[in-house]
Amino acid sequence: MRLLKGALLLSAIALLAVRLPQALEAQNVDRAMLTRPPKDSWPAYHGDYSGRRHSPLVEITPKNVKDLTLAWAFQTEQAAIIKATPILIDGILYFTVPDNIWAIDARTGHQIWRYTAPPNKAFHIGQRGVSIYKGWLYYMSSDAHLLSINPKDGKVRWDVVVADSSKGQWSTMAPLIVGDHVLVGASGDFDNLQGFVRSINPETGATQWQWDATLPVGTPNKTTGGNVWMTGTYDPDLNLVYWGTGNPTPVLNGKPRPGDNLYTCSIVALNPETGKLVWAFQPSPHDTHDWDAVEVPVLVDGDFHGKPRKMLMQASRNGHFFVLDRTDGKNLLTTTFGPVNWTLGIDKEGRPIPNPAKEPAPDGRLIAPDEGGLTNYRSPSFDPKTGLFIVSAAPSYSLYFAKPADGTYGWAGADYSLWSKGVLEAIDYQTGKIRWSHELGDGRSGAGVMTTDSGLTFTGDAAGNFLALDTSTGKTLWHAGSGSHIQSPSITYELDGHQVVLTSSGGVLFAWRLPSVSQ
Amino acid sequence: MPVHETYTPLVIEAGGSLFQQNCAFCHGKDAGGGESGPDLTRSKLVSTDMKGEKIGEVIRNGRPDKGMPRFGLSDQEITSLVAFVHSQQDKAMAQTGTRKGVDVSDLQTGDLEAGKKYFNGAGGCATCHSPTGDLAGVATRYQGLKLEQQMLYPRDAKSKVTVTPSAGPELTGQLAYLDEFTVALIDSTGVYRSWPIVKVKYKVDAPAKAHIELFDKYTDDDIHNLMAYIQTLH
Repeated sequence: MRLLKGALLLSAIALLAVRLPQALEAQNVDRAMLTRPPKDSWPAYHGDYSGRRHSPLVEITPKNVKDLTLAWAFQTEQAAIIKATPILIDGILYFTVPDNIWAIDARTGHQIWRYTAPPNKAFHIGQRGVSIYKGWLYYMSSDAHLLSINPKDGKVRWDVVVADSSKGQWSTMAPLIVGDHVLVGASGDFDNLQGFVRSINPETGATQWQWDATLPVGTPNKTTGGNVWMTGTYDPDLNLVYWGTGNPTPVLNGKPRPGDNLYTCSIVALNPETGKLVWAFQPSPHDTHDWDAVEVPVLVDGDFHGKPRKMLMQASRNGHFFVLDRTDGKNLLTTTFGPVNWTLGIDKEGRPIPNPAKEPAPDGRLIAPDEGGLTNYRSPSFDPKTGLFIVSAAPSYSLYFAKPADGTYGWAGADYSLWSKGVLEAIDYQTGKIRWSHELGDGRSGAGVMTTDSGLTFTGDAAGNFLALDTSTGKTLWHAGSGSHIQSPSITYELDGHQVVLTSSGGVLFAWRLPSVSQ
Repeated sequence: MPVHETYTPLVIEAGGSLFQQNCAFCHGKDAGGGESGPDLTRSKLVSTDMKGEKIGEVIRNGRPDKGMPRFGLSDQEITSLVAFVHSQQDKAMAQTGTRKGVDVSDLQTGDLEAGKKYFNGAGGCATCHSPTGDLAGVATRYQGLKLEQQMLYPRDAKSKVTVTPSAGPELTGQLAYLDEFTVALIDSTGVYRSWPIVKVKYKVDAPAKAHIELFDKYTDDDIHNLMAYIQTLH
């Protein structure tokens, strides 16, 4: 009897525990939470609005990281490689591959539901994840629709067309949600189309505003393109959203589009309420190498040469590292973080000056970096303690061709990468100098970077090893072979009071924790 | 014109849809080249493929060394992709006038004598290569863009590695795997062996490394001149 009483009491306590109001239920993901995500969440693509991909968690440290053990793995059993950043809300992980969304239990890795999209003909090159706001998920389909989905069961509430995929745009991004605005864009430079950022009402799916990166198709001597295909960042104090825009079209033939080709290959600051452009900075004026400037605009507050600054940092695909003042877009620093051979120098505004002799030509031009870029969309990370901007780089060389027969539509040329390797570069943002480099092997790594307050850097190499490095030195402290290519950065969160690191490789998610936490 | 199996328009159309979803980003919507993937309409592998025996293998296994993933598609899906790629190649080759993409004739802007001088002098090519030795007939084995790519970076060149275990004899073989934790070789009898890097000393002899070191030294003229010279090595 005593035993039964005890058991009853225990279950009553358990019941109480379950019923306790939880701060992190899906319906409670609001502006305040997205601005200051609790430790037991990773509620958006970048984790928070800053894009630093830096976590305050400190349970896993440089001392104990060697003991990390696998809590579980989740197999999508799909050929598609996971390029998504999962989000974690209320103990549930939501993540994607093209045409698929999963909700899985973060404690066990078992599936709660799976959504599969109707067949569609758009490019299926990647899907970077879903976003959540006030009890609804938001997902960009391969054919550039925005869907609002119920996180409880994966059922679709509404579906609106963002771009006409039959004309050549498609989508891969996780939306950025700022207040009552779901901000989205599309990909697509195989056709001469207008890039844009669109704001959509999270309740109704109605368009609130649209900012176009380029003039309407057919405007004489003007560029098209500037697709916005990555998740932007947001400064709640300045109330500005920051986005990088894609390359101009035609892609490799710059002749039909003389001049700088604004606002392609640009970093833009927009007012999220109106879509009005506040400032713009162009990493690649008159690009002819497909170097989208969509890489994460990372927002950092700190000292720059003795003055407190609100900064924006980008390691750009074209090989340059930029530090801007994000209040007005003025350049503070421009440097390179690997081999770059296509410029005549840097102009007085801090922009690289393209060398006309390095535009694609009929007999070919040797170009560094290659079209994949010195880095690409995978997240870098900023570590505040060391002041290091850590980016997965790909030093590379390639041949670029273009001739009249290639035309003035879409790709309009050809390019061939000759060689590349992967190197993790830790850049001192005050000087642009590289403090340490960590070789990642032949080819390139798609793992991106995440840092933690305990002094750890999580990334992966080109061979498919997950790596944990000492942020101050770049020395390897832990590794595990993943068995496939790693194409997304890690995230970390607290679950049941303990830190978890979540990584992915191929079609598999891996959850890691310290062995003392094992049950 | 290459000899390809005949497929029905329906199969080609189904292949076209699959191609847009899975292949077009890298190889272009018309299979004529896109972001990082080669122009399949100019591919020798495609033109010597009868009914998917070569293309199918590439789709199934990927080309991990060149960044192409393997695709888990059914035999029927692969057949339709093959049909589409064949039809695109036939279309491109039936074109009259200048074709898009890189032609052998586009790569003839160099100066042969200057190229020869660069080969024997500043380029340092003659340190490892000989026009009558390893490079004899290279311009017969490869032409055009393929020859230029081989010239700039011979990505299939095998590296050798010598491994010295803490106990036991030194071993030399073809480098089979290397990351920061493990080194592996295939020895002269074809046996694969690997070691934890912390337990051995090893030295890689990578003949292609000299090509990497040249990348930031070449001018575009050097490359075109060198190409003019290499093209004479029949």
